Amino acid sequence: MAVEIPTELEDLPTSKPHWIGREVKRVEDPSLVTGRTEFIDDVVLPRMLHCAILRSPFAHARISKIDTREAEALPGVLAVVTGEDALRWSYPAVTAPEGWGTHCIATDKARYVGEPVAAVAATSRYVAEDAIELITVDYEPLQAVADPFEAMKEGSPLVIEEKGSNVMLQRTFTWGDVDEAFAAADHVFSEKFRWNRVGANPTETFGAICEWDPMDLNLTVRGSIQSASNFGLGRVATFGLPSNRVNIISYAHGGSFGGKGGTRGTDVACLLSRKAGGRPVKWIEDRMEYLTAGGSQAWDRHYEASIAVRADGVVTGLRVKLVNDIGATGEGFGAINTAKPLAAFTGPYTIAVAQYDLTLTASNKLPESPCRGMGPPPHFFVLEQMMDIAARALDVDPAEFRRRNFIRADQFPYTIPSGNEYDSGSYEEVLDKALELAGYAELRRQQAEALEQGRLLGIGVASAIEPGVFDLNVYSVVGMQGTGVPEGATVSIDILGMVTVRVGFTLEGQGQYTLVSQIIADYFGVEMDSVRIAPLDTRSAPPSFGPGGSRLGVAITGAVLGACERIREKMAIVTAGLMQTEPANIELMDGRFRVKGVPGAEMTVAEVAGTMLARSDLLPPGIDPRPEATHVWTAPGRAPVDEEGRTKSYLTAAQAVHVVLVEIDRETGQVEILKYCLCDDCGTRLNPATVEGQTDGSVVQGIGAALLEEYAYDDEAQPLSTTFMEYLLPTINDVPLIEKVAVVTPSPFAPLGAKGCGEGAMHTTPAAVMCAVNDALAQLGTRATEVPAAPHRVWKLIREANEKPQGA
Amino acid sequence: MTMARQVRMTVNGAACEGLAEPRTTLADFLRGELELTGTHVGCEHGVCGVCTVLLDGRAIRSCLMLAVQADGADVTTVEGLAEPDGKLHPIQEAFVEEHGLQCGYCTPGFLMAICELLESNPSPSDEEIKDVLGGQICRCTGYQSILRSVHSAAAKLGGGRSATGA
Amino acid sequence: MKPARFDYAAPGSLAEAVTLLAQSGEDEAKILAGGQSLMPLLNMRLARPQLLVDVSGLAELDYIREQGAGLAIGAMTTKRALEQSELVKRRQPLLHAATVLIGHPQIRNRGTIGGSMAQADPAAEYPAVALAMDAELVVQGPDGERCIKAEDFFVTYLTTALEPAEILSEVRVPELPAGTGWSFREVARRHGDFAVAGAAVTLRLEAGRCADTRIVVFGVGDRALRVDEAEQLVDGEAPTSGLFERAGTKLSEVIEEPLSDLHASADYRRDLARVLTQRGLAEAASRAS
Repeated sequence: MAVEIPTELEDLPTSKPHWIGREVKRVEDPSLVTGRTEFIDDVVLPRMLHCAILRSPFAHARISKIDTREAEALPGVLAVVTGEDALRWSYPAVTAPEGWGTHCIATDKARYVGEPVAAVAATSRYVAEDAIELITVDYEPLQAVADPFEAMKEGSPLVIEEKGSNVMLQRTFTWGDVDEAFAAADHVFSEKFRWNRVGANPTETFGAICEWDPMDLNLTVRGSIQSASNFGLGRVATFGLPSNRVNIISYAHGGSFGGKGGTRGTDVACLLSRKAGGRPVKWIEDRMEYLTAGGSQAWDRHYEASIAVRADGVVTGLRVKLVNDIGATGEGFGAINTAKPLAAFTGPYTIAVAQYDLTLTASNKLPESPCRGMGPPPHFFVLEQMMDIAARALDVDPAEFRRRNFIRADQFPYTIPSGNEYDSGSYEEVLDKALELAGYAELRRQQAEALEQGRLLGIGVASAIEPGVFDLNVYSVVGMQGTGVPEGATVSIDILGMVTVRVGFTLEGQGQYTLVSQIIADYFGVEMDSVRIAPLDTRSAPPSFGPGGSRLGVAITGAVLGACERIREKMAIVTAGLMQTEPANIELMDGRFRVKGVPGAEMTVAEVAGTMLARSDLLPPGIDPRPEATHVWTAPGRAPVDEEGRTKSYLTAAQAVHVVLVEIDRETGQVEILKYCLCDDCGTRLNPATVEGQTDGSVVQGIGAALLEEYAYDDEAQPLSTTFMEYLLPTINDVPLIEKVAVVTPSPFAPLGAKGCGEGAMHTTPAAVMCAVNDALAQLGTRATEVPAAPHRVWKLIREANEKPQGA
Repeated sequence: MTMARQVRMTVNGAACEGLAEPRTTLADFLRGELELTGTHVGCEHGVCGVCTVLLDGRAIRSCLMLAVQADGADVTTVEGLAEPDGKLHPIQEAFVEEHGLQCGYCTPGFLMAICELLESNPSPSDEEIKDVLGGQICRCTGYQSILRSVHSAAAKLGGGRSATGA
Repeated sequence: MKPARFDYAAPGSLAEAVTLLAQSGEDEAKILAGGQSLMPLLNMRLARPQLLVDVSGLAELDYIREQGAGLAIGAMTTKRALEQSELVKRRQPLLHAATVLIGHPQIRNRGTIGGSMAQADPAAEYPAVALAMDAELVVQGPDGERCIKAEDFFVTYLTTALEPAEILSEVRVPELPAGTGWSFREVARRHGDFAVAGAAVTLRLEAGRCADTRIVVFGVGDRALRVDEAEQLVDGEAPTSGLFERAGTKLSEVIEEPLSDLHASADYRRDLARVLTQRGLAEAASRAS
């Protein structure tokens, strides 16, 4: 039975939505603010043990001998595992690109600082940590590689010897006649950029409780898991188990932003549980483990970019060369971060041709992971700096320069050179509103006035696309296969008209339970309070990916609406039978099934549900009597990539313009954000408060990436950002008031016209802040090309600019 | 004596006791021994503020204190804020109304820090709020809604009600 | 991140604490004050004492008293108490200004002045205050009490003149002479972080010329540093921006190679010391009379 998912609010069976589009209070919150929501570390199981992991202090070292006897003898220790157990009981991790995985515990050599070397299960975490100190490991240190250009050289130490090279992937994508565009250009501008590693850092680290049932050969993993089904498949592969013998129970988690990772520690805890005879083993990653060895790091990038520009300021071509240091293995799926830019390669612009020269290398650093934005944020940082370089050279205002290159509102749906299709947009309107909100002309006046006083102000105007509702298809260019990402929901109405929605994901912070409640309430004309959400484990849930790729809000809307439509059709048949008419004469409106054109001939949803469940005598013969349906939604019209990686990948394209005013202290290099304004367009805003929350939070993560956050390593690949004293998250003192306005251009393709918006401003903010920094530095004749623009870096640029002879 | 010893403290108004080794942190004691898991742990080195509780009315990091040090102290955790019948504390209400949380993991720590703030300063300015909340990290909200929540809570408490409910 | 096993004692008096320390072997016992520096090290197992002697609860070490023209501050007085003390605000504005730069209220509620002094972190604020204010540090040991001048107390990175069985009991901060201007500035990556570099400055104006100038920089060496060469350059001169610029430059030339880390290169730290000195002198001069 095909169902049609409403793409407009007007399609809903309500004369006026009461809940959708309103700033409703979140149903998740009362339990969260009282500390009652159960996170994984709050869970205690009978006979549960606690895991601590011994980790390599070397970035690259052969392990010649491990002695665990003393640890095993410590009272309270129930199991100790080493690489031998991993070899015996597990397979190397599944990776992207394929074939770059290792076992969860180092078997022959350690490939990064923090790689598990052994682990203990004991009666408490304290005892487990005591025990790992009693394990002696003989290491033979090997030369480490910490730089991708070194890694690519002949004779470089090999991270995984069997591969014969440290190059994981090298591929050039060419979209159109790029050479011709650059040859014909009036101007060509080129620059190199460096984006240092940053990462997700949710306030809750990863945690899991693993239970290996030795009798039934079942593996149960409870954890703070973002995508339970994918996580389950990973364990299936690691342990070679039939897929129906792995059950993943996801708990509410304290944020993720793509950075929950945790697969290694989970697999280690699984091995420990097996060795401890099936006792559940809890592994809670501590913050130092998270920072050095968790799903914490992403986007270690070296860029070279060129743009071709016509004399009239139209950008005609874009070349981007990216060398990304993925780290020791491909297990974190960090490579996907380099594929997603294909979904928005040319940003909001009409750049007709483009080329992407992509190299992924291995090093003795932590394997990279996903992170909010999944890769485009550094790409847009580069693209937007190039736009400003061109605008400055042509003496065109950066806002005007962008306007000249924007995709026009009448050009949608618009296919970009790298193959993705943008659904809709009103880019000029968004720009105008952002400039108006910021008082752009006045800011420029302030800037000029400040310069006269010797103060250094800079204004950034940047625009970027947030590709929403990801599809796996585009990720195949880095080795992930599949087309379509299913999200399912089972909607059940009980005998008294109360509604339960069963889903395959848990709380992560974006308020999807609230969203589901809003949709159900408007669809069936019930109170939001009459809706309950039941998150299920992977064995019970409908197919589900969960949150990720700015997708779940749209996908779960599609799934819930699909299930509702299916229930409506069934209920119409039942109602028609009771009303002695044809189902085609029955319509649902405002919570009532009514006979068209016959006032008063109607039944409430609860009455129909009650009839279906308690009066079989009144039902049409052969009908399925459950007021329940499951719908699995996936984005329509997706197909595998072509030979140049082109495909419709992300269903929606949200867009934003940010305007930022910064001041740079000429002597200390400190950057202060004085004003932050933005306008964004993510289509229909199903819960405006939630959308704003995503925007605010992602602006601040973007500010962190632009100015504060950095996973630094030394030349020996020793991590330097191992605590929150080094990895600097923005605090309330580091963020300005964020002023926001919105434009709403609904998506013609997505359920209710809503676009993915979860990753949000992360796409635009780093670019915008750096545009502002560079607008200030341009007054000194210099430019920041490395992120974050930490004070010591800015200071150095200013000093070098001051030392340059005048006019040089 | 490195062995566990009996530790007694008043937690959320009730006399509590439990066993703690000298090395057991107050955070672990509250969560493990007293089963008060509303206090979360975020970094265990004092930076993130997720584990903030009130000790004798003062907001402190429970990861940077030993349980044995809190012997005899008066501790308030997030579990002590709402009424037993589920009625939320005004600061909690404000967080719900102003969307002062997303994942909610850092929220208990924020609430406790704000309790101390509003107890001593019933109508704080933005700057005064930032001075306190600079010690609490939230990765979700961008702090905008938290700032609003504090102002809203201050207004709710304006009737002279004590922030800690005491 | 759970501490290794240790024994714990909370002596009822300072004398008892000293006796306990004296009975313990060298490096066996550690004093636990507010714990805001020590506890992270314990959680990371970087500090591994056999015995923790907890003096944080000793009421006899928790006071702020007027002593002559200065203040006598018990070592276990919290930074929060100092921050909120009217006496400190009024009589020791430099100490107050430094205090509110330390961590956050949630840290200052536990962290103590004595703990900070004894920890002797080269990027911490209080040792710089002690040097700038010419404070004295009173310590109790098995052989009784002794008084150590700040310039002798801070030896090097995380090392003080305290003997193993000695406990810092009081910090005596003299009053600034009337008309003294002061400044306390730092550059930190975020508010509340340890300083990348900082400067504490005091000076007076005598007949329109600078006098008794004290310049202390921190975060740039193995301990807070008083820089005589820069002070001498200032004393006796009219307070001009040119003078302060020269003093900052002088200071940056004479200090040893600063630490280099991911937050700051050595060159950057050296230049920050110059800038902060220059700005500190100007601010202090503007407050002097």
